[in-house]
Amino acid sequence: MNYDASLWLTFLLIGLATLLPRASFIVLGQRASLPDTVQKALRYAPAAALAAIVVPDVVLVNGAPELFNPKLAAAIAAVLAVTLSRNPWLPFVAGMAVLWALR
Amino acid sequence: MSPSFKAGAREGFRVCLPVSVGLIPWALVTGLAMVSAGFTPVQAMGMSFIVFGATAQLGTLPLIAIGAPWWLILATALVVNLRFVIFSAALAGPLAGGTLLQRWLCGYLLTDGVFATCLERLRSDADPAWRLGYYLAPSMWCALLWQCSTLTGVLAAGAIPRGWSLEFMASIALLVLLVPMARVRPMLVAMLTGGVLSVLLRGLPLRLGVMAAIVGGIAAGFATEHLQKKTEAR
Repeated sequence: MNYDASLWLTFLLIGLATLLPRASFIVLGQRASLPDTVQKALRYAPAAALAAIVVPDVVLVNGAPELFNPKLAAAIAAVLAVTLSRNPWLPFVAGMAVLWALR
Repeated sequence: MSPSFKAGAREGFRVCLPVSVGLIPWALVTGLAMVSAGFTPVQAMGMSFIVFGATAQLGTLPLIAIGAPWWLILATALVVNLRFVIFSAALAGPLAGGTLLQRWLCGYLLTDGVFATCLERLRSDADPAWRLGYYLAPSMWCALLWQCSTLTGVLAAGAIPRGWSLEFMASIALLVLLVPMARVRPMLVAMLTGGVLSVLLRGLPLRLGVMAAIVGGIAAGFATEHLQKKTEAR
């Protein structure tokens, strides 16, 4: 497939749609700070967001939830590795080993 | 560069190094995906530098490939990036000490991994220069690692067997981030609510289900914190 020069315009649009949300409050700074209650609530943003991204990935198989699947087993192995060991590489080794073994 | 900026930079780099490993397979996959959408290596790396956001890139690729209208591509990119407004607001205070140029750079470099890893210390440390170093050093390292791995994926497109499922290492990296957070009760509630809602609402168009799940998770965490305080007050 070939694209013309407008592809670069598309990249710029997507780039702006990514840069502006990211830079918004950091660049505007204190002039546009959020209320204290909102700030407090925001402490939960990373936990909620990361879980919202990762849970469907390990629970869904072809778009439907499945409790016995290799990815979920691998995820449990990785979580156990984080809980039981301080080695930063072990979760990756354990998770991928379980995933490959069950496939 | 002040000594405290350097001290912050060293500490931030040390804290984020293990987490950054999870970027490698994700970047490889993004590189492969752009080439398989029909981009030349120059176009693929151009997108990678201009956008620098895996979710926005992977989310818009299928739309670009079918020749979707520009406004649909723009709207899709905005929706998957809305979470960054929340992250940006949380970082505005901690990074307020930087110059305008530094703050634009901080914005461009904002990623989920560094945000989640660094936020607690960024909110608690009193030295603005230390905070800037603590955020910027790991962010720049992640960007460098990301672009190198993307380039590898672009150049190796087709050579890496898909059966290896290396992209799953990105999910493992997210789990590694989540486990220490789960030790605080309201955080655990936020996490479980976000995860379950995201699965339940997966049918909503434009990935709006993910947005709704994040908002629901934040609300649940906040509510749990209030309930805990009430119980302790008694």
